[in-house]
Amino acid sequence: MALIKDQQLSLDHATTPELRFADWLSDGQNNADAVLANGDDDLASLLTHANKLSMIALEFDTFADGRGFSMARILRRAGYQGEIRAVGDVAMDRIDFMQRVGFNAFELRDDQEVTEALSKFGEVTVHFQPSADGKGPAYMA
Amino acid sequence: MYAYNQYDQALVDQRVDQYRDQTRRYLAGEIPEDEFRILRLMNGLYIQRLAPMLRVAIPYGLMKSQQLRAMAEISRVYDKGYGHFTTRQNMQFNWPTLESVPDILADLAKVQMHAIQTSGACIRNTTTDPFAGVSADEIEDTRPWCELIRQWSSLHPEFAYLPRKFKIAVSGSASDRAASQVHDVGLHLYRNDAGEVGFEVIVGGGLGRTPVIGKTVKKFLQPQELLSYLEAVLRVYNLNGRRDNKYKARIKILVNAVGVDTFGEMVEAEWEQLKGGDLRLPWSEIDRVKGFFTGPDYLAAEHAEHDLSRAFAEYPQFATWYRQNTRDHKQGGYRIVVVALKNQLQAPGDVSHQQMDGMAALADEFSFGELRSTHDQNLVLADVAQRDLLALWLKLQDIDLARANVGTLTDMINCPGLDFCSLANAETLVLSRQINETFDDIDYQYDIGDIQLKISGCINACGHHHVGHIGVLGVEKGGKQVYQFTLGGSASEDASLGKTLGRSIEQDQVVVVIGQILDVYVELRETDETFLQLVRRVGFAPFKERVYGTHQRSAA
Repeated sequence: MALIKDQQLSLDHATTPELRFADWLSDGQNNADAVLANGDDDLASLLTHANKLSMIALEFDTFADGRGFSMARILRRAGYQGEIRAVGDVAMDRIDFMQRVGFNAFELRDDQEVTEALSKFGEVTVHFQPSADGKGPAYMA
Repeated sequence: MYAYNQYDQALVDQRVDQYRDQTRRYLAGEIPEDEFRILRLMNGLYIQRLAPMLRVAIPYGLMKSQQLRAMAEISRVYDKGYGHFTTRQNMQFNWPTLESVPDILADLAKVQMHAIQTSGACIRNTTTDPFAGVSADEIEDTRPWCELIRQWSSLHPEFAYLPRKFKIAVSGSASDRAASQVHDVGLHLYRNDAGEVGFEVIVGGGLGRTPVIGKTVKKFLQPQELLSYLEAVLRVYNLNGRRDNKYKARIKILVNAVGVDTFGEMVEAEWEQLKGGDLRLPWSEIDRVKGFFTGPDYLAAEHAEHDLSRAFAEYPQFATWYRQNTRDHKQGGYRIVVVALKNQLQAPGDVSHQQMDGMAALADEFSFGELRSTHDQNLVLADVAQRDLLALWLKLQDIDLARANVGTLTDMINCPGLDFCSLANAETLVLSRQINETFDDIDYQYDIGDIQLKISGCINACGHHHVGHIGVLGVEKGGKQVYQFTLGGSASEDASLGKTLGRSIEQDQVVVVIGQILDVYVELRETDETFLQLVRRVGFAPFKERVYGTHQRSAA
């Protein structure tokens, strides 16, 4: 599976963790610094422990599950600076929105063409709302 | 009204290109069916029983004449020469091809229109009072706030994959003409005891399978914090709304599950992080947007006024139309004109391309080139001088839109039903035809007076039957289309949900039952008592007795 990181095809990167956040918590939290979480995980707990993690992979079970968008947004707002990687049902038509809310890495679904996916960043350049990218709404420009 | 700046225009232009590419990749087999379904829905494209259906956004129901003309042209070029106004003040085209939609969107973008977020599990078109800015009883104009919500919610990156659709309505008068208590969020602009204008926030109302009247979650919200508070509500909903069952995914289910107090605390906790931040609206921005809604260049009252008594004497039908279809205006010498899209020949809310062009011309001639659509599927010319009313009425007759039935039985709300919709269980258009044929005596309708008949073809309640004074819901039982009646609903400031009258009625008996219900009203009413008041006073017993005591043909 191809990985886009910081808007480039990444050829050298950590593999996506298989260790689930809940298991990492119950295992004493010190055997790894990258976890896999999804919308069912407790966000408050994730925020509490985020500073011990270099990567949080947020998994989308289905295309329609939008919880990860708010989770990424809140993690960034809390100051989390590690990698937030979108994994699971990740397709090119959503990565621009994902980037805006705080994801910086995208493990693309197998059927996705990487070059085409890269062209999807900034397809719509006008933003009417502040988000994790730090840019204010267009009317504040 | 609001005019696009370079940002708004760039956004819709780029969105057209984006959607064109998505359509191309779908047709080339590069986007799976399930995935494209979500992408096209976010752009208002449904696949219906017979053809795709494209829903075009009319933000808070406001249009320029050139926009209506553009829709007339779209209906000619890409459709069958007509369109349909919906209960969210939007326009639907029933016959475009999937391949042509990018071109339609490009044509719309040329007149500052789009189909963004007219469907799908995202924030939908914000609706409001069709008389905003002109009604005599208004506290504050809702339109600038609707525009601010439109901008904030357009392509919001975090809220494109909500548990379910999300609808916001804004009301700014004592009379609630926006059905705000049956929306996911209803906003009431009002003046508090200290004289400040702000919002009461109602949350968790809605119709559909689980009709609920919304509950107050915040008594007074400072207007500058409108967007920060809405963002907090949406974030709490996005994270906590149910996603396991689409019929339990609306925010009303979440609010009812945790209780409105707890829900309010969840929102406050999130809002603590947001208020005073990037989303706080500076007055400069609020004033900039308000500057688009300062009202047209009205004539002085003495020039706009006109003694209509001679015209009334000469044209009694004009007098009736004036009484039934026009409303008080805040500006001396002006009237608000409601143009009923409820004639005998067309489905409620339908307009032909000739009627669209005709209405655009009348807006140019008599109402400063602007029109509004209403949630009860009519059009409004908001600023007509009294001296022009007769000329307007005469010209409305030329396009079959002079029917003086606003607020009466035949001014019904009607979803498209089984004739078009893939969700429907029963036909609805046949009912509106039968009702028009049976109750064609307009004097009878005037005698019945203010009554709201709302018809839905399935439990999803697009026809808002729960809040009709008389509601009709089509259901399928044993392969037959039958209809359940509810009485006593209201979507106004006295919002209430109708209750089921009794067992279902067969299709050919629906008009009979409506007649029986109205007979009971006529027999029992006191002076000046409306139908709704009577239902609330006497209860259901006399109606049940009349409908089921003598009526033997009801379905099981």
